[in-house]
Amino acid sequence: MTLPPNDPILAAPPTDAAPARANKTLRRFLANRMAVAGTVVVLLLVVLAVFAPWIAPHHPNDDIFRGMRGVGPSLEHPMGFDHLSRDLLSRVIYGTRIALTVGLLSTLISVLIGVVIGAVAGYFGGWIDEVLSLITDALMAFPLIALLIVLAAVIGPSLTTTVLVIGGTVWARYARVVRAEVMSLRERDYVTAARALGAFDGRIIWRHVVPNVLTSVIVLASLQVGSIIILESALSFLGLGVRPPTATWGGILSDGRAFILRYPHIAVFPGLMIVITVLAFNFIGDGLRDALDPHQKAGR
Amino acid sequence: MSDGKRTNLIDRTISRRQFLKYSVYSAAGVYVGVNGLAWAQGASGGEIVWMGHQEVAGLGPNDIGADVHAAVIFNVLNPLVHVNHVTETEMVLAREVEVAADGLTYTFHLHQDVRFHDGSEFTADDVKYTYEFYAQPGNTVASRFIGMREVEVVDRYTARVHMDSVNAAFLRVAGEVPIVPAAYHASVGDDGFRTAPIGTGAFTVASWRPAESTVLAAFPGHFRGAPLVDTLRLDVVPEPSVRTIALLTGDADGTVWPLSTEDNIDFMDDPDFRVVATNWNSPRHIPLNTRLPQLSDKRVRQAMMFALDRQRIVDDLESGFGTVATSHLAPHNPFYNPNVPLYPYDPERAKSLLDEAGWTVGSDGIRVKDGMRLSFTCTTISGDQTRRPMAELAQIFLREVGVEMQLAEAPVASILEGLRQGTLEASLFNWTMGSTTDPSPTSTLLSNGGDNFTGFANEEMDRLIQEGLNVVDPAARMPIYARTQELFAEEVPALLLHFNQGVLVFSNRMKGLPEVITSSTPLFYRGNEYSKG
Amino acid sequence: MPSYLTFRILKGLFVVVLISVLTFIVMRLMPGDPVYLLLGDGQIPITDEQIAAIRAKWGLDRPLPEQYLVWAANLLRGDFGESLIRAGVPVRDMIFEAIPVTALLNVYALGLAILVALPMGIAAAVRRNTWVDYTTNIVSALGIATPNFWLALMLIVVFALQLRWLPPFGLRSWQGFILPVVVMATEEMAVLMRITRGAVLELLPQDFVRTARSKGLSERRVLYRHVVANALLPVVTVIGFRVAFILSGTIIVETVFALPGIGRLFVDSVLRLDYQVVQSLVVVFAVLVVFVNLITDFLYALVDPRIRIS
Repeated sequence: MTLPPNDPILAAPPTDAAPARANKTLRRFLANRMAVAGTVVVLLLVVLAVFAPWIAPHHPNDDIFRGMRGVGPSLEHPMGFDHLSRDLLSRVIYGTRIALTVGLLSTLISVLIGVVIGAVAGYFGGWIDEVLSLITDALMAFPLIALLIVLAAVIGPSLTTTVLVIGGTVWARYARVVRAEVMSLRERDYVTAARALGAFDGRIIWRHVVPNVLTSVIVLASLQVGSIIILESALSFLGLGVRPPTATWGGILSDGRAFILRYPHIAVFPGLMIVITVLAFNFIGDGLRDALDPHQKAGR
Repeated sequence: MSDGKRTNLIDRTISRRQFLKYSVYSAAGVYVGVNGLAWAQGASGGEIVWMGHQEVAGLGPNDIGADVHAAVIFNVLNPLVHVNHVTETEMVLAREVEVAADGLTYTFHLHQDVRFHDGSEFTADDVKYTYEFYAQPGNTVASRFIGMREVEVVDRYTARVHMDSVNAAFLRVAGEVPIVPAAYHASVGDDGFRTAPIGTGAFTVASWRPAESTVLAAFPGHFRGAPLVDTLRLDVVPEPSVRTIALLTGDADGTVWPLSTEDNIDFMDDPDFRVVATNWNSPRHIPLNTRLPQLSDKRVRQAMMFALDRQRIVDDLESGFGTVATSHLAPHNPFYNPNVPLYPYDPERAKSLLDEAGWTVGSDGIRVKDGMRLSFTCTTISGDQTRRPMAELAQIFLREVGVEMQLAEAPVASILEGLRQGTLEASLFNWTMGSTTDPSPTSTLLSNGGDNFTGFANEEMDRLIQEGLNVVDPAARMPIYARTQELFAEEVPALLLHFNQGVLVFSNRMKGLPEVITSSTPLFYRGNEYSKG
Repeated sequence: MPSYLTFRILKGLFVVVLISVLTFIVMRLMPGDPVYLLLGDGQIPITDEQIAAIRAKWGLDRPLPEQYLVWAANLLRGDFGESLIRAGVPVRDMIFEAIPVTALLNVYALGLAILVALPMGIAAAVRRNTWVDYTTNIVSALGIATPNFWLALMLIVVFALQLRWLPPFGLRSWQGFILPVVVMATEEMAVLMRITRGAVLELLPQDFVRTARSKGLSERRVLYRHVVANALLPVVTVIGFRVAFILSGTIIVETVFALPGIGRLFVDSVLRLDYQVVQSLVVVFAVLVVFVNLITDFLYALVDPRIRIS
């Protein structure tokens, strides 16, 4: 049961010199128009987030326009007003800060934890694998939402809580995928060869195993950024999101659902932003994967 | 969680003496009239569907506290009397009630020949059993029976309640507890009864799926006549927008729990629907934990009242369905006192009061005093889409004058415990202030009151409350409660926002709704009178 | 093999116990007391005597370890206890009434998602960087990016309110399943599509595919026989861990469409501090997840013989 039916005849491990490889990767990435478009969008979002106070026409929380509750888009207020008569455009612009912070930081935290745990478990196997898998299994079997509700109740909902809780709990899926990939990679000949040559385990993991599982991790992570932004809106739905009056896309969206029949624009604009952001991250993810994967042949 | 019973106190306007003699019209006459009308329209059969927002967790007398539960339970079980949709005490299983002049005995003359769903006859023994069982402390309705000693079975159709002490609210509060058949209840126990109740009501429970729907089937042997529809169903629909859509599509005929205010307005112009707006008794308010150093100075609390543009909250968030609160008692309450300190929107006044109290504006715009920031947290109920925006607006107003009110959300059970133990700083709801049953704020403003969420401790208030409890004559009580309201307005233990109107929408497919309505929840207790057109 | 199985089962049991202890602790950490909920809304004053009597009735006055052990011992005997909030109804009845609703929703949604996602994912990989690929990509991103409560409400507005084709809520007829299943499938589909595409892309240039090609097998045969079979590996994993998200994933759909499933039961119970229900639900759920993980691992071994079960 050890050999797959179509096992390759000695696949050559990636041996390009590092700088040349990075260069090639970059060129491949830049050739992908969708990926470039995604990058541009994300950069724009970053600019929006960093310079929100200068870009937003009004203060997101304090500028209230009496009697303008739920009034639709106009030239001066391109996204209209929210249920508290605040300028929706300004709130959506400020919401970018939270979306990027939550999406990127949580993803980063979960990827780091997940990849390390998954790689270690898969590479070493044995009791290390057993213990780590046990923790992973327990975490995956424990409903995330319960943890979020309880932590929100104990610590109090806040941006930090949201980021830490999401980042600290969603890593299990990376761990599982990475572990599975590493388990199958471990048997590959170049890893066995490196081991036979006496290479140090950490170095093997870093040089040979991690780059090979990165493709899967990137696919997952590019999806994850979006899912986490959505998760933030789900938390707002349950009253566990970032505290008001902080403008978050999820919060605006979930407030808007009560007015979906009368003021649909309140839910539409933040929803649109989420869609655009997720699309952008997905295209970047795809581009990165194609560019990073040395086996990939362009244009197939 | 019920939001304050929408009943008011019409008989407060009559004198105590009249009240004691208050012997009410027989239910029979009223019902024949209404039924006759519905029959004349030729309607019968079919199904009426109402919607609630939360699951119906139980079907026994212990569950009547929440509106959605009450809408089901009172169609299956009947009380001796209840406060009806025009806020009058209406006889149900009782034919007549005599209240002794000293307020220490209540004699209930019962309807004869009333059958429970299992065919057994309803008698005074069932009244005795029910009242004495539910007065035991393990029951959630136990406190409704405060002051009751025992129930005497005078004869088969007469029960007399003996009191140890006067409880002015007894008839309205205890009288509302529905009667259970003694033998059946004793054999299945209360938990058994809550899941499979048998009563004298117009409907029996056909199926009970708490989180989905409760279906009631007509009971032809009902003592007021068989209901006009075959089934009555209560569906649980948590999302207000979906409730609105279901009314529009005809999937439901009424909603026990309100829709969003904007959706209500659309229904007002729609000839196929009837919008019922009634005044609520309890104000939306922000109880403040007065034990906190930053909230202990009444000038700070008064300043916050001046800082709030409360009319704007009513206009924007209630679509105008409400009145700014000047007292914790509603303007339609007979004990309401209009001559109290008022707090018009005046941010400048607020600022000068805060300056006077020694709070100066700090670098971040929030006031400080002795190194302490004028900041506190208001915890609203998780997912409360109606009241949280009010807290958000209040937050903006308070910030204008340099007061920081942070917002948090928590489940009801946490909020209740936190308020009772003094660990929460503030909240926003409308349960406690403004009683439905008695003007005495015993539980909320007495320094050792069980629901004293604000930690309010005021000697004069304590003295007035004690005094008020010992006086029976409403006229003599009037000045006492006029003063408690004045004191409340001066001390501001809670930031009063407004009295909202409860707005409910019914489809005109459901026929037989009364013309005049001053209290909406009891409409749901009359399922036997409605037909489907 | 049997010893491996026993080992895995023991490990699973350990996970379940660990989770039950964690849940117990975590629930008691939540501020609040369910007794106050039972006592209503503060309209009618309550007494300390009442609070004490109710706490005693439910054993909430006992030391915490004792409460845990009593509960765990009962659970082992198959007695899940009674709901504090819901009329003393046996928790087992509550859970097993809610499970079919959620299970059906998930099975239908997953089925629909697989039917749509596998062909689209494969097509996107094979026709990489063509309009097929881009369309799939955008459809999938839209699927992930659209918040499900928003999609749910919009579908209700269109299909229930405007077209009057489908009921706005409930499961009174089979039509009631359509909208919630579509909403849930949209998300699953988006994820599966991407995973399938990624997996196929990764396999296409691999040597065994080249070998198969060089052996003169037709392109179609290569695709179906080798690539798709191998691409199922990550797909199986993803489906496996979607199971873990059932509880949180259906909460919103169940709330919007007013469906009495376990997602809503769970959140309601957590918010109402209905300890017995939450604890039992988490344990039942943990057993399910552990079981699915076990199955997934075996499927893995079946699909990818490179992994040895030893």
